[in-house]
Amino acid sequence: MSTANNEVILNVVDLKKYFPIKQGFLVKKTVAHVKAVDEISFHVVKGKTFALVGESGCGKTTVARTVLRVLNPTSGKIVFENTDISNLRYAQLLPFRRKMQIVFQDPMGSLNPRMTVGQIVTEPMLFHKVVKNKKEAYEKAASILNTVGLKSFHLDRYPHQFSGGQRQRIAIARAISIEPDFLILDEPTSALDVSVQAQIINLLLKFQQEYGFSYLFISHDLGLVRFISDTVGIMYLGRIVERGVTNEVFDKPLHPYSRALLSACPVPDPRVERGRQRIILKGGVPSPIMRPQGCFFHPRCPYKTDVCEKEYPEFREVSKNHWVACHLVK
Amino acid sequence: MILDNLLTVRNLSTYFYMEEGVVTAVDDVSFDLKSEEVLGIVGETGSGKSVTVKSIMRLIKPPGKIVSGEIIYKDKDILKINEREMHKIRGKEIGMVFQDPMTSLNPLYTIGNQLMETIMQHQQVSKEEAFKRAVEMLKMVQIPEAEKRMNSYPFEFSGGMRQRVVIAIALSCNPSVLIADEPTTALDVTIQAQILELMKQLQSELKSALIFITHDLGVIASMASRIMVMYGGKQMEMGSSDDIFYSPMHPYTSMLLKSVPRVDKKLDRLEPIPGQPPRMIDVPKVCPFLPRCPRSVDKCSKDLPKLEMVSEGHYVRCYNPVGGEER
Repeated sequence: MSTANNEVILNVVDLKKYFPIKQGFLVKKTVAHVKAVDEISFHVVKGKTFALVGESGCGKTTVARTVLRVLNPTSGKIVFENTDISNLRYAQLLPFRRKMQIVFQDPMGSLNPRMTVGQIVTEPMLFHKVVKNKKEAYEKAASILNTVGLKSFHLDRYPHQFSGGQRQRIAIARAISIEPDFLILDEPTSALDVSVQAQIINLLLKFQQEYGFSYLFISHDLGLVRFISDTVGIMYLGRIVERGVTNEVFDKPLHPYSRALLSACPVPDPRVERGRQRIILKGGVPSPIMRPQGCFFHPRCPYKTDVCEKEYPEFREVSKNHWVACHLVK
Repeated sequence: MILDNLLTVRNLSTYFYMEEGVVTAVDDVSFDLKSEEVLGIVGETGSGKSVTVKSIMRLIKPPGKIVSGEIIYKDKDILKINEREMHKIRGKEIGMVFQDPMTSLNPLYTIGNQLMETIMQHQQVSKEEAFKRAVEMLKMVQIPEAEKRMNSYPFEFSGGMRQRVVIAIALSCNPSVLIADEPTTALDVTIQAQILELMKQLQSELKSALIFITHDLGVIASMASRIMVMYGGKQMEMGSSDDIFYSPMHPYTSMLLKSVPRVDKKLDRLEPIPGQPPRMIDVPKVCPFLPRCPRSVDKCSKDLPKLEMVSEGHYVRCYNPVGGEER
């Protein structure tokens, strides 16, 4: 599965995460499952960006949390630097936690309002003991703040004193403070205005070039995914329906859902917009508890055939590194 | 096609008097809306887009206040009429669709109830007639099994369906102006495509004028024929969709366009706008974009440039516009 001379930092194989739905008064019985993530496989190449894209509720964030072992997987393998971390216990997991960090969507929710920026940025360094003492941690924090475009006098301030973009810089400073190898970026710019979004994205790209970070980038913004990622997986109802090199998937999408998704996304260019043919899908995304029989997409698919209603299509490699789950793609 | 000015806004200013100071949410905004046209208002958070349209609907509550300006609708200044007359305009002549359909629908009433309420409020019809009209409206916004769904509550609908209901309510009295304030921001992109398609189709069928507010440049490109760009409560630029996208003259517009990634091609780089969005409290009377502007000249720090016409229908508020002469 790994590509020839590119080292794979994270390899996820058949990952499943089901959430039980319990009912009952005294004795709780599991009546069904929310299959948030179902048989997902992908890999992240060292120094590159893999993006997961999909609409709300498709399971992108659950993948992120399961990969970090914030949630425990139902089954499947999470291989990080040649070690399967899917079943490691807390103490065994710690050295890996140091190498994996996350930046969340909402910087107001992910930064403790009662901690100063200094406390926020030094906490991971002190916890993982990458510095000798507090003084060293603060010195390092000051230099990290400089690299993310803030000033060292910001160390004594509180999160509410910053704008949204600056807060996201603080969250990034915290994540990179312990020099991780791998970062999960879970919609890092969704709460920001476009003019500020570009600042944050460029900062992330700069760090990738300078420090060789590997990114798992999660977003619903297709334009952004196209810009930032090398490879991409398009998710629908807990599964990846198409995966491949970003430019190839965006220019020649094969899965009907990918095609509809890409055509639905408006382009900031009126002349292009006037000439564009949009595939308008019928209805909404079904519930992940009662997923349709067969291919999950068939109730909305304009090309569905009989077999689509019966069997979930196999996830196949149709051309080099381009994987699709669709009966109709030959 | 009749192109009269249906709605004229002149020098509208809406301020919020807060403990911390005065927030100039909307400052000296002027524009015309012709019948059957789609005017897009684009801007970032806090740029004053929503306050502009809420002022038109007279929905500004203290500490907010419309401090000056005129809003002429069909030869009447709606800032001067009393609240009872305003009731006849709001919802009947000018309809509005808000961003979040969960908060604009009342969770305790069926959607049939809410649709009929609007119809009976503004039109002298019996309950039976209102019911019939309501079902027609639901059919028009393509809600399946419309008659049955009249008895459903908002929570029984998905986000896209709820927004269809809100659109049905807004259009139920056949308004001449429909204002849509970020109607698809809360929705997923495939659902957004459905709603945009529906709005375009209804707009051309019903021949109402549409004011469409969004922060998404892609959405505005697909919807609007004329665009107004706002920043820091002020109009920065206004022109046809092609003027704004292909010959932007305000540095903000031009930089904004370069900072947006696109889905149809891979850009080499994004050019961010340096700095932070403006603070809105007690702002000096200069261009709000000045601290972030690479084209600023000495004059910029002295006073605020006027919104001037540079070519037919293309207005810019800048002393040193892109591709133009310094003034």
